[in-house]
Amino acid sequence: MESDDILSILIGQIREVVPELVDHDIGAADSMAALGVDSVERSEVLMNTLEILGLDLPMVQLHGPRNLGELALLLKAKCGGA
Amino acid sequence: MALTAGIEALNVYGGAACLDVRELCVHRGLDMPRFDNLLMREKTVALPFEDPITFAVNAAKPLVDALSPSERARIEMVVTCTESGIDFGKSISTYVHHHLGLAGNCRLFEIKQACYSGTAGLQMAVNFILSATSPGAKALVVCTDLSRFALADAAAVQEWAYSEPSSGAGAVALLVSDTPHILRMDVGAYGNHGFEVMDTCRPGPDTEAGDADLSLLAYLDCCERCWKDYARRVEGADFNHSFSYLSFHTPFGGMVKGAHRALMRKLFKAKPDEIEADFSRRLGPSLTFGQRVGNTAGGSVFLGLAGLLETAPITEPCRIGLFSYGSGCCSEFYSGVVSPDSQRRVRAMGIGTGLDRRYRLSIDEYEKLLRGDHVIRFGQKDATVAPDTIAGAWNTVQGSGRLVLDAMVGYHRQYRFV
Repeated sequence: MESDDILSILIGQIREVVPELVDHDIGAADSMAALGVDSVERSEVLMNTLEILGLDLPMVQLHGPRNLGELALLLKAKCGGA
Repeated sequence: MALTAGIEALNVYGGAACLDVRELCVHRGLDMPRFDNLLMREKTVALPFEDPITFAVNAAKPLVDALSPSERARIEMVVTCTESGIDFGKSISTYVHHHLGLAGNCRLFEIKQACYSGTAGLQMAVNFILSATSPGAKALVVCTDLSRFALADAAAVQEWAYSEPSSGAGAVALLVSDTPHILRMDVGAYGNHGFEVMDTCRPGPDTEAGDADLSLLAYLDCCERCWKDYARRVEGADFNHSFSYLSFHTPFGGMVKGAHRALMRKLFKAKPDEIEADFSRRLGPSLTFGQRVGNTAGGSVFLGLAGLLETAPITEPCRIGLFSYGSGCCSEFYSGVVSPDSQRRVRAMGIGTGLDRRYRLSIDEYEKLLRGDHVIRFGQKDATVAPDTIAGAWNTVQGSGRLVLDAMVGYHRQYRFV
């Protein structure tokens, strides 16, 4: 899976968890915090995305990326870079 | 080995003054729809005549006063659990022991591991009772914490901003013995998870640093892994059916809701509406007091226990699941049994009435306190407290019989009952 595909999954999950953002343009340079997604919602987006990707790893390993593009790259690496 | 051990008596002390958290969020310009996700109403604010010792003594005194002299003489361990220590060497427990007038044949010490400290203290006490090395002995465990992080400087206020609405103050006292009227511990039923992580910390006496996101992720990881360790140890354990009610460490209610949702999805692939209903039924009662005093750190899981015993319908003995998390980090899931008698005893403490009596601070009064002009600092050698910095709050404690901080003389804290 390419990082663009993972980015699409992340954006889809953000819109599902925070319905107010359904019509909002969201891209790789955006951060969830700047979009107004609160910390509990951010964790839910991460959890849902891990589930879709079939990954079971500690959530703390997903801490650090500054925007969705960086997060997608990290998740791609966790998937084994496939 | 003693057959049973657990909490014989429990009391909460929520201080002398509180602040409306909604007013604070409006004042700080925080997004109000997001505020609702915190599930917070009020928070206790420590006054200049209050410190971790006054909170601890005021929580424990009603429990000790209710004992006969011979029962009181059996308190052979006083453990204070805190991340608000007042000295690197001397523990708060020595002051607590003195002001409660307890006997000298007693172990006095303090436990630190962020918000996990209270559970560490309870387990220490429970295992002392279970060991039966001193049959019939009791232990007093007091969780006491308060936050005054804005005292340092403007940068500290900035650092603190993310947790200001939820940072509270309070103490929970637990009398632990082989007659556990409040909570009979399920012996051997526990699960742990700990690992090194720099999520939140107190690097100085008046500062807090950290990353709320990382802390939430660590909390979620621990919740799942503690539960799995518990389930590994306890045959037939089922998160959905083994516990009538739950109490989780509560930095703010919204975080508990997130952790519960994550666990229910991971373990059972539960649907959103059933998760919401389960949260309201099994965890909602535990938020009763936490949403009025804020995060009390080490005591928060027991504040939750007190809240559920105050409000949940308990008509027969039932099992409670408890989850404790302390940044840094260490965590534990464990369980015990409560009964209608537990409920009657906790309700008799009048915890809610005590919270109702707190002085309601205006935003101006709160900000005056934040500047901390009259607060005794860590490491201060000599000082006198100006008790009436907020005159209205000082008036509410007059004649209450509570302990207040008077002065510091050669590093020695001086107190009196008013």
